[in-house]
Amino acid sequence: MRKVAIVGCGLTKWGVRNATYKELAQEVSKPLFEDVENLRREDVDSLFVGSALVDRLAFQAYPAPIVAEQMGLAPTKMCMRTEMACVSGQAAMRVAYTSIASGLSDVAVVVGIEKMNLPNLAETQASMACVLDREWDGVNGLNAPPYFALVAQRHMHEYGTTREQMGLVKVKNAEYSASNPYAHFSKRVPLEKVLASPMIAPPLRLLDCSGITDGAAAVVMTHEDNAKRFTDTPVFIEGLGQATDGSLVGNLKSLTTWFPLKHAARDALKMAGVGIGDMDLAETHDCFTISEIIEYEDLGLCDKGKGGKFIEDGQSKIGGELPINLRGGLLCCGHPLGATGVAQAIEVVQQFKAQVPRERHVGGEWGLCHNLSGSANNHAVMVLHRGS
Amino acid sequence: MGQIDERYAFDFYPLESEQQTRIAPFFQHLREGRLTTTKCTACGLVLWQPRVVCAHCHAEAMEWIDLPKEGTIFAHTAVLAGAPVGFEKDVPFVVAVIQLAGMDFRVVARIDDARYEDLKIGDTVRLKVVTLPDGRVWFRFVPAK
Repeated sequence: MRKVAIVGCGLTKWGVRNATYKELAQEVSKPLFEDVENLRREDVDSLFVGSALVDRLAFQAYPAPIVAEQMGLAPTKMCMRTEMACVSGQAAMRVAYTSIASGLSDVAVVVGIEKMNLPNLAETQASMACVLDREWDGVNGLNAPPYFALVAQRHMHEYGTTREQMGLVKVKNAEYSASNPYAHFSKRVPLEKVLASPMIAPPLRLLDCSGITDGAAAVVMTHEDNAKRFTDTPVFIEGLGQATDGSLVGNLKSLTTWFPLKHAARDALKMAGVGIGDMDLAETHDCFTISEIIEYEDLGLCDKGKGGKFIEDGQSKIGGELPINLRGGLLCCGHPLGATGVAQAIEVVQQFKAQVPRERHVGGEWGLCHNLSGSANNHAVMVLHRGS
Repeated sequence: MGQIDERYAFDFYPLESEQQTRIAPFFQHLREGRLTTTKCTACGLVLWQPRVVCAHCHAEAMEWIDLPKEGTIFAHTAVLAGAPVGFEKDVPFVVAVIQLAGMDFRVVARIDDARYEDLKIGDTVRLKVVTLPDGRVWFRFVPAK
């Protein structure tokens, strides 16, 4: 197995974009190739496209060759789309990793793209409801906000988590997104504003939810021997874990303990030979404020049920136990489904390379990315290490 | 043209006829006011939702069993905004995870005749069957009291 490195990154502006799915693919190509000076298009032998709902939201199947053409690529080793709903981005990186580690691919572009904003947002909401089992769960009008509202209600019921504690997650992430020019929402938000925002699905309010966002994110990955051709500061993928359990909401063992997250994190950290305490920063999947609180717990940063206190005590801020979601998370960057997992990795790379604004720079050597999908029934965790 | 004729557009509700699914009896039972699922006649495994092949022993012989007509609220919320296509006119509506006594699984369903704030975890709810405009059926619950 060859060691695999990330050697370049590119992001588009995220938000409600006056750009189509294909235009986002064109846009992200420019910063990506500009970031990797020595990279020629013909060096890229593989392309992995993370897109969750392109079939429905762009009414376009079979996007990988389209994205290849839009980016000026003609892959000769591996070319495919990866789909795992909100984990489609990290899924694309996992497949690129396996292809490079095995020797099948040498240089891969991984791109996550999602066009979420349609003239009729009820169409987007319907597509999101199909991420759950459409016939038995989505059919009840259930999609992401009401599902995670059920999770939040149970967490408040079982552990006494408060509305204020959930709101503090948004306040923290907004503080960091204020210095992120790529974010959909880059303004600080006081707690009172979170708690007074319109109710969407009680107990969740608008500012407890990640945005409906268009955007793309891309990285170049290659093996260790090749990495020096492209950069002096490769970032290595040292650990990967993924676990999936259940689909129907009624069959989940718990709404408030995410067993597949525990499993994926354990596997990824073990593979990297480190512990959660060795991490210098983490990107976790804060699709809703309650999600980040559960992630503190199930990543083992605090005891079960104490996630609310963890944010209240500032432990996920810079200077705390582990700084989390320094780009602003999904709550403030928005959540273009397939792009999120790739953008999380980009934040860690840019932190290592000191390419982020000073006010949210922590740097360090080890970073963890966590991406979840569906009814939190699938989790992927990736451990990154700064090369020397 | 390529414009979509709404007669051929997808909706959320399962196709339920014998020509379309092998669990057509589930929908027939709903018409009789019964919520049912399948039990494997070989290994005894009861699964939600109804199956045609056992996920444990691969037997194909299933028997139908009745589920309780009452359950308790495990969690509930209401859709106040952001409803999917086809549900916009129903807003606001309550969605819940319902615990059925004695079962290893829960079911997700809408709760009619109640607002979010009228309900709490542990409340008892009763099965209600709704008929769609095209004659298909689906299940919801209502407060038991």
